[in-house]
Amino acid sequence: MVRVLCVAEKPSIAKAVANHLAGQARAENVRGIQWVKNYKFDFGFDRWGQCSVTFTCVAGHIVEQDFGERYKKWTSCQPAALFEAPIESRIAAARKAVATNIEAEARYASILYIWTDCDREGEHIGTEIRDIALKVNPNMQVWRARFSNIERAHVIRASQNPVRLDEAQAQAVSARIELDLRLGVAFTRMQTLALQNMIPQQSEDRNKLISYGSCQFPTLGFVVDRYLRVRNFIPEPFWYIRVAHTKDDIDVKFNWRRGHLFDRMAVILIFERCLLAKSAKVIKMAKKPTAKWKPLPLTTVELQKMGSRFLRMTSEDVMKVAEDLYTKGWISYPRTETDQFDPGINLRALVGKQTQDGQWGRFAQNLIDGEFQQPRQGRNNDKAHPPIHPVNYIVPTTLNERERTVYEFVVRRFLACCSKDAVGEATDIEIDYGGEIFHAHGLTVIARNYLEVYRYDRWESSQVLPQYTVGETFEPTEANMHDGETTAPAYLTEPELIGLMDANGIGTDATMADHIAKIKKREYVIARTKTGGGAAGRGRGRGRGGARGGRGGRVGAAAAQNGGGDTGGVQEFIPTTLGIALIEGYDNMGFETSLSKPFLRKEMEVQMKAICEGRTTRNDVVQQNLEQYRAVFNRTVQQIHVLKSAVTKYVVNANHG
Amino acid sequence: MAATMAAELTQHLNARHLYPTASWLQTFLSTTRPITPLPAIKQTALFRLLASDITTTLKQPAASVFPSDVLKGTIKSRIVTGPVVCQVLDIEDIGHSRWSQVESIEAKERGETTKGREIVRVVEQENEGTADAASPVQSKGPFKLLLQDAKGLKIYAFDLRGIDGLSTNMAMGVKLVLRNVDVRRGVVMLEPGCVQVVGGKLDALDKAWKQGRKERLMAAARTVNTLA
Repeated sequence: MVRVLCVAEKPSIAKAVANHLAGQARAENVRGIQWVKNYKFDFGFDRWGQCSVTFTCVAGHIVEQDFGERYKKWTSCQPAALFEAPIESRIAAARKAVATNIEAEARYASILYIWTDCDREGEHIGTEIRDIALKVNPNMQVWRARFSNIERAHVIRASQNPVRLDEAQAQAVSARIELDLRLGVAFTRMQTLALQNMIPQQSEDRNKLISYGSCQFPTLGFVVDRYLRVRNFIPEPFWYIRVAHTKDDIDVKFNWRRGHLFDRMAVILIFERCLLAKSAKVIKMAKKPTAKWKPLPLTTVELQKMGSRFLRMTSEDVMKVAEDLYTKGWISYPRTETDQFDPGINLRALVGKQTQDGQWGRFAQNLIDGEFQQPRQGRNNDKAHPPIHPVNYIVPTTLNERERTVYEFVVRRFLACCSKDAVGEATDIEIDYGGEIFHAHGLTVIARNYLEVYRYDRWESSQVLPQYTVGETFEPTEANMHDGETTAPAYLTEPELIGLMDANGIGTDATMADHIAKIKKREYVIARTKTGGGAAGRGRGRGRGGARGGRGGRVGAAAAQNGGGDTGGVQEFIPTTLGIALIEGYDNMGFETSLSKPFLRKEMEVQMKAICEGRTTRNDVVQQNLEQYRAVFNRTVQQIHVLKSAVTKYVVNANHG
Repeated sequence: MAATMAAELTQHLNARHLYPTASWLQTFLSTTRPITPLPAIKQTALFRLLASDITTTLKQPAASVFPSDVLKGTIKSRIVTGPVVCQVLDIEDIGHSRWSQVESIEAKERGETTKGREIVRVVEQENEGTADAASPVQSKGPFKLLLQDAKGLKIYAFDLRGIDGLSTNMAMGVKLVLRNVDVRRGVVMLEPGCVQVVGGKLDALDKAWKQGRKERLMAAARTVNTLA
């Protein structure tokens, strides 16, 4: 019988897949590591016939890259030497037993079947496993399973359709690993050695590490940038006109098309002209059907953003829980950029699995009974994984609280995707009053549709507006000039930060949460729960004040939304003095693109994609990036006093002053 | 010959509501070479005049300057028929807070602009002219302007409707011709049909205005804040 060695990326996957294939697999212990088991069973592969299978696993990367002994000590070389110092690959000390197990099993097998997660990192781990196995048994055939969830039928289908390892993706990861290592260690050593003695040490960590990472710094940069905008902000007064008219016992408020102006004289003159005009004329009266679109299929970034906005969990926690739900087979792979469902996937069947639930079962049943509608198609497809969706039903009460929250969100989102847009009727009335346009907007929700199940969106009917006819004139019951004041934007929240990282190509959906956790751990930023009280009032002011003032406006709008929703758990980030000092220090060095900005890293991320698509090679990318960063490194060394003086300004003086 | 030339030029400029002083005309003619064809001389004259400070170079008839009591605040509304020639000394965007304008100037100084949430690097163009032309979103105002007529009278004006050619990117000292404008309480309300942007600029003023714009906005933001 042909012997097949299957290797998954983590123990839970090995166990789940082995049991799906075998029914009940026999678990053998592995010497030296209790958490790895070798599952033994027989299985009929279409391609290889009845086989004797060993299913084992690794635990993430097995091979680690590091500088040789000569370069390992901090004082052993100039940090600049790390740009070209040789890198050694070796089995990580903690993974020796895992590697030995693969070697031992590979000796007897003729087929290596890799079951690592289907993403870039998984592809690279696959090549690590392959290299170890081929070393002891060069004649092995190497195959790879392509799968995106741990649901039984899917797993069995995947097992019968092996593919080849994607070398290009593995190469992209290899480039990333080398760049992260060289840049991270070189800059970290250089800046730590330069700044360490200036920073007051807590008793515990005597040698504080001032780490650098090409994602960490731009992430920190976003936080500092917003913080400084909040700190530097100057409130300014503005003025506006509001008109009211009572018709059919309904008090209609008309808002000024201009919003507000920052010149009192202008508003007074306009207001006077309105009053002189005496009567207003209706120039538009439109009722038209309107819809609130159902959400797009769920991606990782969206899950993280929603998680911190509505589920009161940090992006890191949401991902951990989603990972657990995936390995248990309840949801599909949670790391995906895809927001469109493949036409081949049987969505109705997936909806059908949810009909038994006490809360959303009825809704799911209605979908099955004819309400079902194909989900909207987003614009992203990573060609590896479908959008995050439930693959099986689990009674929520059997999950722990956090799993339940995330599972419920994934299910509700999925059902919402398969439902219909909410529909309503919008009424828009416009009047010309003294040459100025004022408008009133009304909404009547006719059918809530997806909103019934997706409780995270809000869309409510407004006051019913009376009937006007175009050309009709009336004398407003009230016309007043009001004033207000712009308010500062709020500190950066986690969903906003994720949004910025995503838009600017900092990290991947898989790593964003880690970068955020890292800058917290390094004490570059502190996270605090945003205070809910008064948020609504302030949000409104912001919305008005900043609405036309660039980014501030959007923040205001977001904050106002938050205030309305049931959120109290959103985290906001404030940089520490060290965090500000680092960003300002690098910014003040006058590079064309500071390390605090996303541009260099974004470029790198684009190049990773290019490697995956075969448009460039690993070596070209590594060399080009090293060259670019080396220039920045050398100038940083030359201008280290700039960095030091920023640290003096914010950290040293702040602590002694 | 010189007399006919002077007459031709005067006629050409008057047709554009510009009435240069005799001394300006004389100085101008002394700089032209007699062999230059007339159309070219006409063009040069117009160009130079538009680049000059009209308070010293124009001597307008009474209808082509603001009435002397135009600033009277008690008059709710009056129509000034004109055509009044004036130059722009200042323009403010009153649709945006001063601080938000400071922020966008600073982003531009850093070579950044935002596209949605994405921060985009703006690579400066080689020649100066195109950099401004390529600048991202042009504010639609509304704008508050400070105008000056040939007699040196200064008056505020509002562009509430959006007139082509008026923006915070335009050159200071640009000349406008106003016809049938509504003046309310000593402030000109500019309407698209009443304003002709003739062009030109005052180099020194324009340069100083552009250089000092950020500082002025910052100072103004601080003052209005303390007043409010």
